Amino acid sequence: MTTPAIQLSGVSKEFATSSGTTLALDHIDLEIPSGAFVSLLGPSGCGKSTLLRVIGDLIPPTAGTVAVAGMSAREARRTRQYGMAFQAPGLMDWRTVRRNIELPLQVQGVPRAERRARADEMLELVRLTAFADHRPRQLSGGMQQRVAIARALAMQPRVLLMDEPLGALDEMNREHMQRELLRIWRATGTTIVFVTHSVPEATFLSTEVVVMSPRPGRIAERIAIDLPFPRTDDTRVAPEFYAAESRVRSALHAVLDPYESVTS
Amino acid sequence: MSAFSPARPVRFSTGTGVIRALAPAAVLGALVLALWQVVVSLGGIQAYLLPAPSTIAAALVSDAPQLLAAAVPTTTAIVSAVVLGGILGVVGAIVITLFEGVAKVVLSLVAVASCAPIVALAPIFNAWFGSTSLMSKIAVATVAVAFPIVVNTTRGLLRVDPLHRELLDSLSGTRGQLLWFVRLPGALPSLFDGLRIGSTMSVIAVIVSEYFGGTAQALGVVIANSAAVSRFDLTWAAVALASAIGLALYALVALVEALVVPWRRALAS
Repeated sequence: MTTPAIQLSGVSKEFATSSGTTLALDHIDLEIPSGAFVSLLGPSGCGKSTLLRVIGDLIPPTAGTVAVAGMSAREARRTRQYGMAFQAPGLMDWRTVRRNIELPLQVQGVPRAERRARADEMLELVRLTAFADHRPRQLSGGMQQRVAIARALAMQPRVLLMDEPLGALDEMNREHMQRELLRIWRATGTTIVFVTHSVPEATFLSTEVVVMSPRPGRIAERIAIDLPFPRTDDTRVAPEFYAAESRVRSALHAVLDPYESVTS
Repeated sequence: MSAFSPARPVRFSTGTGVIRALAPAAVLGALVLALWQVVVSLGGIQAYLLPAPSTIAAALVSDAPQLLAAAVPTTTAIVSAVVLGGILGVVGAIVITLFEGVAKVVLSLVAVASCAPIVALAPIFNAWFGSTSLMSKIAVATVAVAFPIVVNTTRGLLRVDPLHRELLDSLSGTRGQLLWFVRLPGALPSLFDGLRIGSTMSVIAVIVSEYFGGTAQALGVVIANSAAVSRFDLTWAAVALASAIGLALYALVALVEALVVPWRRALAS
């Protein structure tokens, strides 16, 4: 194995609150190999979104180090190794679909012609070429989310950080997008860190599921999912999938506080 | 693709759409004028109290040369003030936004100051620039225009979608890039809100300033002088013309907005 895509050593994060400090992340050690699809799974408040933002250098850890492709997280962000997608598409109304995808390239200073060519390539990847000149609001929620993913991929980032990007979609769109995401991941070879609170979603997508426990956020269990690729809708009804899903589910239930009604 | 509903068609309003939107107002306006005509002629109201629309229309025609000549310096002042006040307002808003920490405090101060009746400064500006100069009118109106534009544009610039900020951060974007790619385009709708208020303010500021002395034959001067000699038909005609200028300016701003901020209309529908 070459340098891991992401290496977390002893990462802790404290937040100052009115009643003192809250420990959101407690000594996280995690190694994510290059090209992996890793889901961070856990109940609300387990710090999975915080962990994602620490990896992406959007918030600094209180202690510990984050290395991305052998660089510090700060350096990785400065050299633009990250693509990010969030629960909401976060597209810009004032830009067409194509120009939304071009934005990261524009920030990077890529010349116009190259920008456009790359955006068109990404549009093809997410199968939205016909909508290049539409405004975001003219698209359905699922299509907007695909544009957001295309935007995140436009710079060909080494690491794609996704914070519940499919959370707002209905079941049918969600499963469709999961297949699309796997297809894109396999086509690009990007390392993906994916935050979710859905057991079947984590199981279907990931090469590894990291189950986190709440207050303070810790890694409770790491479960390798060795279902073969390509994964299709048939995968979802295969006995091996049920077995893997059950393992993830019981790991998750083990971390849920029985006295608190936390939804999983 | 089949799993997705097809793209929702967005109706961009067309020429007929505009006509349809304006038709009820036009009908209502015509009714008001008709009622006004009937009340004045049947009620025997004296012309110096309230001339009938037909009398005002007659004055508009008979005094057309004087009115049109008067409209030139007035329109020049109004439009110049909108342009200057617009530039001043946007630059001011950007400067305020650059000082993120204190921007909100400064904005509230500006918002309070904008409640002051700017047009009350007219005699002072007349003293500074000369009461018959166009400059004094432009100066008063520019200040009046700049205020609503500063306030609205600054609000727009400060309102940043947290996701857009995080996106720019993840890309290691500079503050300048955040301003150019996110803040400014995001503030355009608010800027135009301010510009629409400002264009109305400009008409008021220029006309009222002209009451205190204007270039030989400005509309405000015609209004003041004709009222002084009880030629109220001419007064009303000049007021009608000033309103028409204000309306035309408002329509122009709306047109420019439709061209510059096409996504806004897409959102409204």
